Amino acid sequence: MTGFQDDLLGYADDYVLGLMTAAEAELFEALVARDPALGAHVARMRDRLLPLDLSAPAAPLPADFADRLRARLAEVPQDTAVPARVAAPAAANLPAPPAWRRLASTAAALVLGLALGLGGAMTRPEPEPQVVAVLLDDQGLPRAVIEDYGNERAQIRFVADVEVPPGRSIQAWTLPSAELGPTSLGVLDGPRPARLGGPDLPAPADAQLYEITLEPEGGSPTGRPTGPIIAKGLAAAQGT
Amino acid sequence: MNEQPEQRSRRLEQALQACIQGRAEGIDAILEIEGPQLLGVARRILGRHDLAEEALQDAMVQVWRKCGQQHGAEGSARGWIYAVLKNRCLTILRDGRRLASLSPEELTRMQDARQDLVPDEGWQLLAGRGRLGECLDALDDPSRRAILLAHVAGYSHGEISARQGVPLGTAKSWIRRGLAALRECLS
Repeated sequence: MTGFQDDLLGYADDYVLGLMTAAEAELFEALVARDPALGAHVARMRDRLLPLDLSAPAAPLPADFADRLRARLAEVPQDTAVPARVAAPAAANLPAPPAWRRLASTAAALVLGLALGLGGAMTRPEPEPQVVAVLLDDQGLPRAVIEDYGNERAQIRFVADVEVPPGRSIQAWTLPSAELGPTSLGVLDGPRPARLGGPDLPAPADAQLYEITLEPEGGSPTGRPTGPIIAKGLAAAQGT
Repeated sequence: MNEQPEQRSRRLEQALQACIQGRAEGIDAILEIEGPQLLGVARRILGRHDLAEEALQDAMVQVWRKCGQQHGAEGSARGWIYAVLKNRCLTILRDGRRLASLSPEELTRMQDARQDLVPDEGWQLLAGRGRLGECLDALDDPSRRAILLAHVAGYSHGEISARQGVPLGTAKSWIRRGLAALRECLS
């Protein structure tokens, strides 16, 4: 097994067991929406553990439950922005590692091209970044790009407007490993290009998670993301 | 009442299809087929009937909103619907502000009840009869307990490590190891 596949399966396990924070789960769902093989794995694991839920003693619904729900549904539009799904592979087993890698990085590469096209005039500094992550909002639109050079050096630039309410800050995060958890890359003055300086982290890896959240002014008080996610994405390794 | 499980699953798939087509009767049908069981799961995790009802209402709104994503997706309708509900329960459980309205006694009672959801003896009742129970039985005790605490009682990594009296990393590796073995056993 490659480390890459191990990580993904590990994330999937945590997700299915409800062990991710809300922010991590959202990040993972974005990945699942773009990777049918991963989605199939999650669905399988869920179905296998389902007997644990079916063992709970049933509780009768109150008489007006369905009516109250219907009244709420009348106010709620259904989401229409369904991410384009690649047909899921027919194989019942896990696809071989190259397929995982291909699926995840193809999707990343597709949005990457789009985001870089919107990105504009910033000249690319030397040396090349080790990974590039395009951060998408919940509509799947690119908002920012993070280039991570390793050695605690990264930079972020914004490719679409990000509204920051007064008294709030944008904070950038990455998830180097499940062990380390979400780690701050820095608090930003506003949606402007900035250099990020994280703590001493392992070299950034392919498919590593990056995200930006809205936090109280000056950054998260807990050292973990607490606010709403503005955008998130997975890194794509650059070069060879 | 004594409907075959396969028949019930099929009706649930049809109900979800109706939702995907924008027909709200699908939601009524889901409640009719699966509502009491769903409420039971929420009740077990949250320990309180009012919170359980709130979780199920919110979850069904999510099902209505997001069912389009399930179009052509793998896995059962039931598995997805329960996952949406469980997520909603966990959000309530981990939302300090949401629980701030409860008195300290109520909170304590809620946490105590969760403690007792996963007994050392008799945990087999949780898995029912079938392959899952056999595979859980084959795991080492700490891994099995950690997995059950997470899935059945909604424990976080931190809560599992506190309950079991081990460092966070140890709790995480129990779960990782246990789930890898479980996957192998079930496939």
